[in-house]
Amino acid sequence: MFAYVVLEIRRTLRDTAFLVLGTGMPVLMYLLFTNLGGAGDYDEWKAASMVGMAAYGALVSAMSIGTGIASDKSLGWLRQLRVIPLGPGRAVLGRAVSCVVTVLPTVVAVLLAGALVNDVRLAVWQWVVLVLLLWVGALPFCLLGIGNGYRLTPQSTGVVNMACLMGFAVVGGLWFPLEAFPGWLGSVGEFTPAYGFAELGRSTVAAELPTAGPVVMLGAWLVVFGAYAVASYRRSARTV
Amino acid sequence: MCPCRPARTLRNVIGMTRTTGKRAAESQEPAGRATSTQAAGCPGADSTPPGPAVVFTAAVKTFGTPGGTVRAVDGIDLTVGRGETVALLGRNGAGKSTTIGLLLGLDTPDSGTVRLLGRDPESAVRAGLVGAMLQEGRPIPRVTVRELVRFVASTYPRPLPVAEALALAGVSAYADRRVDKLSGGQTQRVRFAVALAGDPELIMLDEPTAALDVEARRAFWESMRSYTRRGNTVLFSTHYLEEADGNADRIVVLDRGRIVADGSGEAIRHAAAERSAAAGGQVSVDLPDGGAKGLELLPGVLGVEVRGGRALLRTEDPDATVVALARLGAVRGIEVGRVTLEDAFLSLTSPPPSPPLSPSPSPDERAGHPKETV
Repeated sequence: MFAYVVLEIRRTLRDTAFLVLGTGMPVLMYLLFTNLGGAGDYDEWKAASMVGMAAYGALVSAMSIGTGIASDKSLGWLRQLRVIPLGPGRAVLGRAVSCVVTVLPTVVAVLLAGALVNDVRLAVWQWVVLVLLLWVGALPFCLLGIGNGYRLTPQSTGVVNMACLMGFAVVGGLWFPLEAFPGWLGSVGEFTPAYGFAELGRSTVAAELPTAGPVVMLGAWLVVFGAYAVASYRRSARTV
Repeated sequence: MCPCRPARTLRNVIGMTRTTGKRAAESQEPAGRATSTQAAGCPGADSTPPGPAVVFTAAVKTFGTPGGTVRAVDGIDLTVGRGETVALLGRNGAGKSTTIGLLLGLDTPDSGTVRLLGRDPESAVRAGLVGAMLQEGRPIPRVTVRELVRFVASTYPRPLPVAEALALAGVSAYADRRVDKLSGGQTQRVRFAVALAGDPELIMLDEPTAALDVEARRAFWESMRSYTRRGNTVLFSTHYLEEADGNADRIVVLDRGRIVADGSGEAIRHAAAERSAAAGGQVSVDLPDGGAKGLELLPGVLGVEVRGGRALLRTEDPDATVVALARLGAVRGIEVGRVTLEDAFLSLTSPPPSPPLSPSPSPDERAGHPKETV
């Protein structure tokens, strides 16, 4: 399975579109959002937005795996994988692991932009924990992407992924703080997976332990998206 | 002599008894190589029990279509010995791909059984005993030939060295290019390299030369022959008689999901030639308004087939048949010709007296493969 993970990571990192959209865009958006206009608690916003954008970038990278899987499916590659001794479970797991790994550059790039360009100052342990949490917390979104990829065509995967991303980013408070929204939207937002994901990072920046709420919420979404991925995979195994 | 892999020696026995003349001489070659491989290798305790490579017992597979169900595989009984090179020969839609799908565990039979090297297909695949080149595979982007072959090899318990796999498939020259940047013939050979990378006991190639030009086809079979000399069991499908004859020890002719002939290339060729002599010619006309009904009753007609809006009449007396057709007024687009060897062979696959007046759509065609008139 290790060889499969390596193969998939290699393929992902050679994808220029992936690198630009998944890594370049979040960095660019972060720098724009924090340096154009803006007022009030300037430094606080720079740190908060850094977490939000890193989370957003992680989401983009994680979910883009769906497009890859859908196109592999249409190329007959998934069928070819079924006739080598890899095994279906390891094929899916390998894909999930490679997905999580390719999230890392995005997270690191946005955090670097925060530290080097925007002068965000955190303790060393905070940086380390931030990277780890944003990295591991991306797993539910990998599973969502995988579920979409196995279920849908390449074109519809792209559309569905985009819709999910926009929804998550806005409602989960990745682009703008939830407080900026009307109250009802804010309370809906707290139930989205992206909000829980970003909360992990925000509490780290605030040097607090994350509260139980977001952790439980993210865990619940992990289970939901995991079930979705498995169901989609089973369905595709009958037709692939 | 290696006790854990007795299979490879069987090939020589089969090779000697089955082939004659030119090929018998060739089959001396694997004997030496196979033995040396065994002496050197003899790894793994997970050897397969002795016995045939493939056993089909009354296998049936049907697919649902909007127009009803199609029996893509309709009661196949087939045993393939270890070390044999067998061609599955038939038209598009004869059931070749479905047969291979069953063999690889991609599909399960509705009834009957399929055994591979003494196991069910799925576990044989998991154990790394099988390599396959599927018909519809296209190259995946952003990976080089060597990376791809190395990965596939790594999933098998006893793979070939990557360099050897690349050389055998004839892809060494472009091993470091990306697979999605290659020509059709090159891609096809990369897929062959993927099939053999794990040094599996049995490899299956589903129409390996489909869509290749003559040159690429010749190059492909050259690579393939150098591989079969190693003594592995090879099963491939094709719809070209020449290709089956030139590259297999044994040809199994499939038609509408059934085996209609099974023997050496010589035997099939002979049977086809006899048909060709017996059948005087072929007359074809645009399908009359009343359909093909009654055409089989015309003088001289041995069999009628409808293909692409044309009625094809095999006849022992073309003149009499043409005159009779003229009387019926059914001479639109009439063509008269001698039955070729290829046609005669195909006549093996449409046995009289009940020719298919409306051929049912095959799974292949439903999947969008263009129908080809052979």
